[in-house]
Amino acid sequence: MKNVATQSTSRHWSQRLLGVERRNWRPALLFVLPAFVLLLSITIYPLVRTLALSFVTLELSVSPVERFNGLGNFTKALTADPRFGNAMLNTAILAVIGVTIQVVLGMALALMASEMGRTRAVWVTLFMIPIMIAPVVSGFQFRVIFNDTFGPLNYLIREVSNGTIRPPPWTASTSTSLLTIMITDIWQWTPFMLLLLLAGLDSLSQEVIEAARVDGANYWQQLIRIKIPILLPILIIGILIRMMDTFKTFDLVVLLTEGGPGSSSETVAYYTYVNGFKFFSMGYTAALAFIQLVVIVVVSRGFLSLQQRQRGDLR
Amino acid sequence: MHTSRRWFVLLSIFVVIIAAGVVIAQTEAPQPLGVTEFDLCPTFDPPVTVTVVGDAGHNLAPYQFWQTDFEAMGINIEVVEVPFADVYQKLKTEFVAQTGAFDVVTFYPAYIGDFASNGYLLPLDDFMTREPAGVWDPRQDDVLAPFRELYNKFGGQTYALTIDGDVLVMMYRTDLFNNEEEKAAFQAAYGRELTPPQTWDEWLQVSEFFTRAAGETLAGETLTENFYGSAEFAKRSFSFAWFMNRAASAGVIYFDENMNPGINSPEAIAALQNMVDGLQYAPADVLNFGYDELRDIFIQGRAAMVVQWTDVPKKAADPNQSQIVGNVGVGRVPGTLVGDTIVHRSMMPVGRVVSVAADTDVPEAAFCVAKHIAYNRSLEDVSTALTGLDPYRQSHLDNVGAFAALMGEENAAAYLEGLTQALADGFPEIFIPGSAQYNDALDLEVNRALAGEISAEEALNNVAARWNEITDTLGRDNQIAVWRQALESYRALGLIQ
Repeated sequence: MKNVATQSTSRHWSQRLLGVERRNWRPALLFVLPAFVLLLSITIYPLVRTLALSFVTLELSVSPVERFNGLGNFTKALTADPRFGNAMLNTAILAVIGVTIQVVLGMALALMASEMGRTRAVWVTLFMIPIMIAPVVSGFQFRVIFNDTFGPLNYLIREVSNGTIRPPPWTASTSTSLLTIMITDIWQWTPFMLLLLLAGLDSLSQEVIEAARVDGANYWQQLIRIKIPILLPILIIGILIRMMDTFKTFDLVVLLTEGGPGSSSETVAYYTYVNGFKFFSMGYTAALAFIQLVVIVVVSRGFLSLQQRQRGDLR
Repeated sequence: MHTSRRWFVLLSIFVVIIAAGVVIAQTEAPQPLGVTEFDLCPTFDPPVTVTVVGDAGHNLAPYQFWQTDFEAMGINIEVVEVPFADVYQKLKTEFVAQTGAFDVVTFYPAYIGDFASNGYLLPLDDFMTREPAGVWDPRQDDVLAPFRELYNKFGGQTYALTIDGDVLVMMYRTDLFNNEEEKAAFQAAYGRELTPPQTWDEWLQVSEFFTRAAGETLAGETLTENFYGSAEFAKRSFSFAWFMNRAASAGVIYFDENMNPGINSPEAIAALQNMVDGLQYAPADVLNFGYDELRDIFIQGRAAMVVQWTDVPKKAADPNQSQIVGNVGVGRVPGTLVGDTIVHRSMMPVGRVVSVAADTDVPEAAFCVAKHIAYNRSLEDVSTALTGLDPYRQSHLDNVGAFAALMGEENAAAYLEGLTQALADGFPEIFIPGSAQYNDALDLEVNRALAGEISAEEALNNVAARWNEITDTLGRDNQIAVWRQALESYRALGLIQ
């Protein structure tokens, strides 16, 4: 044991850092250097600079001078800014409820598609259309759909109910504005879950399903006891990707509600943008961005651990 | 061969259609009126390119209208369009990054304090005093005092030239207010004559009276769709201005001499409550109403009255856009009874000015472009329905003939009279550095109250608290100093007592 430790400390730094023989360290370094410089300049430096900014007050509307503020920006965001709290809550609602609905619908559609015969390719292609549309276009499309005066949705509700139901002004009401963003997001991204889960279902061993059927398991038992547990690792990755995306929801907010009425549909990404590019409060914006980063990292870590555990169980 | 010929014919037709479209698009411009006397700048040789930035849409059209003038000066114009709501952030980002992307910048004057104090704009005084005056003098003495002093100057120097004199006016349907049947019904219901509202309380009354459901009768005709007494700009961004019309007329000023907010006074709370109460006579989706929606509901004949910018009467007079041509009255924005006098205040939100960017490589040419739009061709630009630009010079108000071609002599005179009165009632936005934050905080809370999320009192208390936070963050002493300067300007112009 002692020998191993001595051996490891006596290894040349090129072996330890670059994993190459001592005589090859120069060319190895030369090959790595461009990528390292690129990474440093476009990822590491901005990240460190943003972190440094989060500890200062920098109000570009009055002066380009930075004043050290310690943890002031973080304290303000976490304890004294109800608008940020509200934006976090809205984002959490979109992430938890919205993504859950996408999972359920995606699973249902994937199960349907997996049972389809020759027409499956056509249906799956049709289902994929929303995902191919740019979010800007889908946002605009749904803004028209939700319009109270000339939108088709309220027109249909009024026609079908013979005028007895007064549909809400979807994007102009505090109780439905966030819902419009959620509905648009669900419409656009459910096909992603469908695609992912369909690929998972296709890779399921038919022998296992057949064996379950022979043992007398009905459709629901097969689904709950066999298919879903096997699909769980894929499902977790899908949920993680969608949750991270939802956390960044910005374009739909701008197009559908601009965060209103009031602040009823503001998301964290939108509120961060407002602070950065409307108020030019760069220090505070940097702190908000870092809080988001921490939340995303923690959530991702949780999901990845869960996924690893699932994989372990399956093995 | 046969296929090739067919393709050739189709391609030719396509080219002809496109060319015709371009010609039509280019010829849609106001005719030079020959009223304003000016000389063009000496021709730049070699020609220079001037990049102009501004909010996208009809207000950038003048750069197309007067292309031949710019060519005569040896100036090629490149126009960069930015969405209406993104002008500030686009300009600020470019200025901070010192990209030198723009030579002439168009922006809303609320940001002049921010841009001028940070050194992003070139002072224009040196250009304006050059000889010959016909070439260089943009006749600032002709610009109405509030625009000249508040929109164009910072710290006593001129940094910008006004191109759009925004102020709000009240518009109403004269055919409805003059209808005998409606007048009698109003008299019976409210015990007074039906007139355009003078106070905000009367505004509510008249709004209630004219709000009718589909199937009911209005001016002798059965309605096929709901008709509304009034509507408001209730969408986030400028809803605060429609609130401030009410609050300022009740004597509310944003801050006192020491930057203590005056926005949550009992008068301000009552003003916001009035606006909240008025929404019941507007469409259900009024919280989505910005400029476009508020203009359309009026000129499409679905509301009896609105408060809007002064370009809307021009749109209402254009049969291509309006269904109420000849039926539009322009009046003072309602006021508040203070003692035995009705005090009227019209907010002056938005507005547009042009400036020369401090980091431009072609300052002279940029000034020539700015002056051409702000003075030489300004009468043509403000008297057409092809732009949204509003009068801002005394010479604009004196030239009824320029507007008569669009709306007829009588309506033009009434329009300019209403506008003159509105300018006399004018009340400014917050112009000091940090205006984006102050205005946003006010707008957000006003909007929350309009949405019924919180009470008027809670909303305005929130604004006061938030404004104090903003002032502290930006530096209270500095903010107090610039606010006192602003108050002096307001007083000198008679905007406040």
